[in-house]
Amino acid sequence: MTVFKYFLKIALKNKWIIIMYISIFFVMTLLNSTDAMKREEAFEETRLNIGIIDKSNSELSSSLKDYLKEKNNIVATKEDEEYIKEQIFLEIADAVIIIPEDFTERVIEKEEAIIIYKDDRKPHSIQIENQINKFLAFANITYQNGQFALGDVKEALKENTQVHVLSKSGFFENSSIETWFRYYFNFTGYVILAVYIAIIGIVMSDFRDERIDNRRKISSKKLLEFNKEIYLGQLTLAIAVTSVFIIASILLMGRYIGHIYYIKYLINLMVFSLSILCLTFLINNITRNKHVITTLSTVLSLGSSFISGVMVPQELLGEKVLLVAKFFPVYYFVRINDAVINSLSEVAFELFMQVLFAVAFLLLGLMFSKKAQRI
Amino acid sequence: MVVKVKNVVKRYEEKIALDHFNMEVNEGEILGLLGPNGCGKTTAINCILSLLKFDKGEIQVFGRKMTPNSYDIKRQIGLVPQEVSVFENLTVKENIDYFCGLYIDDKNTRRQYVEEAIEFVGLKDYVRFYPRKLSGGLKRRLNIACGIVHKPKLIFLDEPTVAVDAQSRNFILEGIKKLNREGSTVIYTTHYLEEAEMLCNRIIIMDNGKDIASGTIEELKAMITTLEKIVVRFVNIEDEVINKMYKIPHVIDIERNGEDFIIKFENGINNLSNLLSFIAEYNLTYIKLYSQLPTLNDVFLELTGKELRD
Repeated sequence: MTVFKYFLKIALKNKWIIIMYISIFFVMTLLNSTDAMKREEAFEETRLNIGIIDKSNSELSSSLKDYLKEKNNIVATKEDEEYIKEQIFLEIADAVIIIPEDFTERVIEKEEAIIIYKDDRKPHSIQIENQINKFLAFANITYQNGQFALGDVKEALKENTQVHVLSKSGFFENSSIETWFRYYFNFTGYVILAVYIAIIGIVMSDFRDERIDNRRKISSKKLLEFNKEIYLGQLTLAIAVTSVFIIASILLMGRYIGHIYYIKYLINLMVFSLSILCLTFLINNITRNKHVITTLSTVLSLGSSFISGVMVPQELLGEKVLLVAKFFPVYYFVRINDAVINSLSEVAFELFMQVLFAVAFLLLGLMFSKKAQRI
Repeated sequence: MVVKVKNVVKRYEEKIALDHFNMEVNEGEILGLLGPNGCGKTTAINCILSLLKFDKGEIQVFGRKMTPNSYDIKRQIGLVPQEVSVFENLTVKENIDYFCGLYIDDKNTRRQYVEEAIEFVGLKDYVRFYPRKLSGGLKRRLNIACGIVHKPKLIFLDEPTVAVDAQSRNFILEGIKKLNREGSTVIYTTHYLEEAEMLCNRIIIMDNGKDIASGTIEELKAMITTLEKIVVRFVNIEDEVINKMYKIPHVIDIERNGEDFIIKFENGINNLSNLLSFIAEYNLTYIKLYSQLPTLNDVFLELTGKELRD
């Protein structure tokens, strides 16, 4: 097991790269956890900046607009999805609502009546949703003989209710725990991508150095044995790095694991790690150049994480960006982390896609490997 | 016969790197592969070791055909490549241990072999050093240790003394002699004539991918027409007298090198006394006069028409 031993030894000599990535990750996690886990005990309504596009121009939509204007500041917007998403991303608007032409009919039929663009990560995104839901609920109640009693709705909306928080457990707590785990594991994906490619790539570029590889080729070590030990080394390193994140999640938030569907994150992370390990295998068979590998590590990890929704939620990314992201396993990894599910079968497609990527990377890697072995 | 190379042809597209190359290596000898840079020495070694495919011919090592999967043959072979081929991220001892591990599985045997190799190349004080901290000469020693640590019966040394200081060079050459005395057969490529003369029992001269001559040093020198050169510097001599020197028995050529005349003779019988008689007859005065037996460079020059160091 000399090859295995020295694979890990050389990997450990590059430990500073691993430590650097992991340290940055945990500093970010700690900063994030203080925000994500902060429990609000006092609620105050604030004026938000919202954009309204009214395509209905009905009595009901005008009344809704008036109500929202009372509670918020109105900003100019236009009916262009890219433009709206940019306004929200740049925080020019906290939300943009589009009232469709058949708004009144939809309210009567109790269908989804309004399109809302907002940043789900921000607490005030709930506020605007609440205001609209409240208005629509009251409007529905007053609907009789084909008429809305909009005056009564206006009066009712002026009433305030005193809320006392009797218990801190429940929906809001679970929601913030879920948010924490979602961010934690999404960012884990980014670090795994960067660390696997960088560390395994650097070590492999040493082993695949032509001069050193020639010494291996003329030795009595069988190629199969050599490869077995190399891949065992890669797997061991991958398991060690991934385990750090799993163990840390248990140490940091272990007491809340029972409140969420933790197995989803665990299985997703394992499948993702496998696909990234196969991606690393492919890269190592394409290039031996350390500079190319470290550049790829940075570009691929940052680039694919960004367009796949690790840093910015997928809802805020453009369709074209998401279309490109679909060619990276990170996209499917993030989709599973972001999904609220009760069973893994609900994300079977996303898991399958990651496995498919792993197989594709592996086959491509083998193809390049065969090509390189030709003498 | 340890190695037998018969009519091997290796082409790189249009260029012929080995042109019907032949070589035979007997057990226990140090065979020198002598030739200028780019003549095909390394290509020949790489073909023998199955690191390169060749287009035509046959190669046998220890009486068997060599293939990339001949692991039992490979067990008995060691290579010291031309360039230092070690891990920069491993220490001296770790490097030697890793390359030993490619041959030896048993931990205790490996430990013993590693210690012996360190001792052999004189790197005992540097075992914890990383290669980047070693001088050029010490790196070369490490390169050798990695190639011989598993005690191979057949060792290929590909120009192991390139860019090495005189002290390390002598150390390396003495080490090779010692390996040979301990029973290893050595194939040594070089373009340094003195090294080949000092070290090798037998030499194959290569040029443009061909083996143009082979034999012991004496046999090679006997192949050429110039068997003696006498270098002389006269105080004053006229061209007419120089032309008369061609009448001295066995003179085949006279070359002028600055103020010196190099007089070449076709055999070595009484040449010096014949020249001295000529000097006396024409009442010539000389400042220096000495006789030189042919060198490998003369052999190479006569066989190829160019200097080995070109």
